[in-house]
Amino acid sequence: MRIPILKLHDYLLISIQTEIDDNTAIQFQEDLLDKIHQTGSTGVVIDLTSVEIIDSFIAKVLGDVVTMSDLMGAKVVLTGIQPAVAVTLIDLGVHLKDVPTALNLEQGLVKLHQELGD
Amino acid sequence: MDLKSCVDINQEWDIVKARQLGRAKARGIGFGTVDQARLATAVSELARNLYLYADRGKICFEITDELDRKGLCVISLDVGPGIENISRVMEDGYSTSGGLGAGLPGVKRLVDQFDIHSEEEQGTEIRAIKWLR
Amino acid sequence: MDREFKKIVLDNSDVIVQKWIDEIDTLKGFNYSDSVSEELLESTNREFVNIIFSSIKNEGDTKQLKEFSEKLINLGWKVSYITDGLQVFRRVTIDFILQQSDQIDTSYISELLHSVDEWVEPLIRQLVNEFSGNWENILSLQRVALQELSAPLIPVMDNITIMPLVGTIDTERAKLIMENLLEGVTQHNSEVVLIDITGVPVVDTMVAHHIIQAAEAVGLVGATCILVGIRPEIAQTIVNLGIDLGKFPTKSSLRKGFIKALGLTDRKIIRTEENNATIEQMIESLGGE
Repeated sequence: MRIPILKLHDYLLISIQTEIDDNTAIQFQEDLLDKIHQTGSTGVVIDLTSVEIIDSFIAKVLGDVVTMSDLMGAKVVLTGIQPAVAVTLIDLGVHLKDVPTALNLEQGLVKLHQELGD
Repeated sequence: MDLKSCVDINQEWDIVKARQLGRAKARGIGFGTVDQARLATAVSELARNLYLYADRGKICFEITDELDRKGLCVISLDVGPGIENISRVMEDGYSTSGGLGAGLPGVKRLVDQFDIHSEEEQGTEIRAIKWLR
Repeated sequence: MDREFKKIVLDNSDVIVQKWIDEIDTLKGFNYSDSVSEELLESTNREFVNIIFSSIKNEGDTKQLKEFSEKLINLGWKVSYITDGLQVFRRVTIDFILQQSDQIDTSYISELLHSVDEWVEPLIRQLVNEFSGNWENILSLQRVALQELSAPLIPVMDNITIMPLVGTIDTERAKLIMENLLEGVTQHNSEVVLIDITGVPVVDTMVAHHIIQAAEAVGLVGATCILVGIRPEIAQTIVNLGIDLGKFPTKSSLRKGFIKALGLTDRKIIRTEENNATIEQMIESLGGE
């Protein structure tokens, strides 16, 4: 199973709609980095509205993806993290510091636009 | 009524199966969405530990009914190598697998009651209970 | 035997009632406030003893008992009035029957105790249940009321929400606060949330920890959290305890926090022209007089 990555001008859009297992998460990490490399995108929005659970492993993969993309010159914003998921992450002790977030896809794009300053 | 049910953890996809069952159980006895997520996440962490460190094991669910409270007990059982130093694995940030090291201490924070018994070469039993508010 | 005892008691009810009333009178002052008038006390005593007797006669009339207990609960009498009253009745009755009997052996006494207990026990059980049921009811109502009060969320305008916190914060409440806060943020689509702790009397490490966690969680769902209402003594404790609040903005007052929130959402307060005009007109008209 692969998570589809859409391209919109200079941005990449990903909406995670399914329950993610470890393999899917790792596969996604690779796919995204490849896509950034191919397209030269400067911004990425990962929408997590439909994700009902993020455990420490998936949180680590997501955090890593943000840092890795940053290294490749693409800014990542995570959007739509559900309240229940946020509470669980805090309880787990996963802080995802320095990871930009926004309430929804739309505001995520606005945020990217502001941060990239164009 | 079915009080106890288990999921065998042999392969990676079983982690997802276990947490889906955990969420369903939590919803079934009336936990709110946030606590459902807490329980499902705790199950996910425990199941992943089984897969990573014990190779195989099982996750069981038990409805705990006491005089003045009701809760869901998640039990993680394995016959793996056991945990050498329990206080060490309960430390935040300690990891032998390159993970976040949030696993067990994180699970402890997600639930209300957490007991761990481990014997070297015998296996480990973890019981994590969350009470219905 | 039970029948005989019952007969003795019912035949001599006047004597027993009088003894009971005399005894219960000595316990006055323990079980009810001084504000209870003599008449009320006497009529309640009468009613109580009547209920005891009618209960012995028809072996339990629950409706009458329920009405009586409801009345006591409404008047705010203590449950000890009931337990004392029934204990006194037991004592008086046993004494009286023993005095009336000629031959007394251990089996007689045992049967007597047994019978009287059987008359009294259902009454105690039901009355105490009525009382405790009432307490439980009140308790659960108050709990619901408290929960409603404990973490209110006010969407003041588009994208800005305020959560005023009043009173002590414990772990249970902190969890509720965090959950309400996050649900509210996503529901109202708030970009900025102001947590006002003006009404929180003590901010110790535990409370600060919970507030920090809530703020971090708000950050995860994609909004900004501003902590407002930090009084001088709270600022001191926070620094003395070595708590790091540096990661999110804080303001001393809700007003300043709100202005900051407006800034974060690219807005500001402007006095409208018409208002200016009217105020100027007013001043002019005052000067003209």
